[in-house]
Amino acid sequence: MSIDLSALLLRETPDSIIITTPAGEVVYWNKGAEQILGYASAEAVGKPLDDLIVPTEYIDQLNRYRHEAIANGFSTFETARRPKDGSLVYMVVSNKVVYDGEGRAEHIIISQKDVTHLKVLRDAKLVESQFRDLLESTPDAIIMANQTGRIVLANSQAESLFGYERGAMLGKLVELLLPSRYRGGHVAHRSGYFGQPRTRSMGAGLELYGLRSDGSEFPVEISLSPLQTAEGTLVMSAIRDITDRKLIERALQEKNVELERANKAKDSFLASMSHELRTPLNGIIGFAEFLSDGKPGPLNEKQKEYLGDILNSGRHLLHLINDMLDLVKVQAGKSDLVPERFRLEDAVNEVRAGVHPIAITKRIEVAITIADDIDVVMLDQQRFKQILYNLLSNALKFTNDDGHVGITATREDADRFRIVVSDDGIGIRAEDIGRLFTEFEQLETGTARRFGGTGLGLALTRKLVELHGGEIHVESEIGKGSRFSVVLPLAIKGARA
Amino acid sequence: MSGERILVVDDNKTNLKLVSDVLECEGYRILKASDAESAQEIIGTTPPDLVLMDIALPGMDGLTLTRHLKADDSTRHILVVALTAFAMNGDDARAREAGCDGYITKPIDTRTLPGVVAGYLQGRA
Repeated sequence: MSIDLSALLLRETPDSIIITTPAGEVVYWNKGAEQILGYASAEAVGKPLDDLIVPTEYIDQLNRYRHEAIANGFSTFETARRPKDGSLVYMVVSNKVVYDGEGRAEHIIISQKDVTHLKVLRDAKLVESQFRDLLESTPDAIIMANQTGRIVLANSQAESLFGYERGAMLGKLVELLLPSRYRGGHVAHRSGYFGQPRTRSMGAGLELYGLRSDGSEFPVEISLSPLQTAEGTLVMSAIRDITDRKLIERALQEKNVELERANKAKDSFLASMSHELRTPLNGIIGFAEFLSDGKPGPLNEKQKEYLGDILNSGRHLLHLINDMLDLVKVQAGKSDLVPERFRLEDAVNEVRAGVHPIAITKRIEVAITIADDIDVVMLDQQRFKQILYNLLSNALKFTNDDGHVGITATREDADRFRIVVSDDGIGIRAEDIGRLFTEFEQLETGTARRFGGTGLGLALTRKLVELHGGEIHVESEIGKGSRFSVVLPLAIKGARA
Repeated sequence: MSGERILVVDDNKTNLKLVSDVLECEGYRILKASDAESAQEIIGTTPPDLVLMDIALPGMDGLTLTRHLKADDSTRHILVVALTAFAMNGDDARAREAGCDGYITKPIDTRTLPGVVAGYLQGRA
């Protein structure tokens, strides 16, 4: 009984033996090739070898050694090949060319040995000597893998994070550290990464999880960086366990939802309270007004005076409630602007007319200067007047008798204008300016309380300015006066002028 | 002293009294109702020249009553002026739509109310 030893050798050798034409078309594919590269002989024969198993970045190298073999009869080199499953294996390749009777290349016999494991050991040795000390000193878990996705270094932080013995991760595929549902996708991602290696965080915006040796999962944050070495590109992953951070984030989120809910409840409470408070107040004011006008019958001076006091208190309270309702509405985003075309000068004059009685009483001159290049604007007219009214009545309130108040409007740029309300009144202390636009922060500087007011006016004013997409600033000096400066768009965004 | 008859409809007793007394002081003859149903009854027996109609009422609302009045030949001539809570929230437009001849925004200003009411009455004449 004779044994065909050549056939036995070809069949049983662990190496991949392939025969191609000089152009690279596969004509023979042994069992070793089937095992290492994943393609059955029937799948491979007739196909170009380049398309089957050669990663794009190794095509040039393949051509170089193929030409060398055709010229010299023989070539040998180390390279990486892509098996059917998309992974990568390192191989030592020997090409041997068979010539026909006239010296033309007829076939190339390609013998390939899988040296992935040896390559891992080599890479491991290299990074071990170069980087181990450094990586042991970082707080993060560090894992380095080579192009085949095999771990060539894991620092002790990584070993304890994932629950492995010293050195136990070496040579394993990095997918070992991922929950199984992510593994398939990860192979494709890491092949892609070697195509365009750069430092970045992994899976931006995605929730990433690590898998411990005991099967438990934990959330991680991973940053990747390529590392060029004499043995090729390696990828370094810095891995951080973010379990604690996730817990805190979740707690904060829940707290936030709770706060939002509480805030909404507060807003709707205030809105309905304001409405409920106004109804009886309107009765108080209405009857006081009716009485003090002497319609139902004559009054003596004291009665007139006290009715006047009731009216003033009632109106102040009504003002407070209205401001509060406005503020709540603006804060709740329930206040929509109604854009309207109007002449800025007309609106300013109307607002001045509204404060005329106070100005006359205190003998304060209100000067208006409007630049020629501002005419018609497209704003919520009522809101604009409210802003200006608040600033103007403040200016009058905090300016002594015979003082000066000015309103100046100038063009800020192509799309915006600036309106400044200035006075030569009592001014604001530098340390108080920051609190100025906060609700109920009417300044307590000595005599300020005697000026009355709701303490809501400036907070509301700022909100209204911001609602228009504008900004408000204040400059002031004690005893010299204040300048409130508002920058507004000429037309509300989205509205057509 | 014009002596025209005015029906004030408001479910808020204080407001009803305030509006009624202010107008009474001006010499108008005042009728009062605190809901639309009793207003309807009064209009049937003693037709007024003008109705000051609160919009939000228990039961039938003021706008529904206005539509009834304006649909009926025998009551169409009666002026209806709505009392709206805010001009801002569209009550004014709804009032016009329902057939109101005008509207007055609450809170009532006792100093201007007589003039406004007189204006509506004169406009009709």
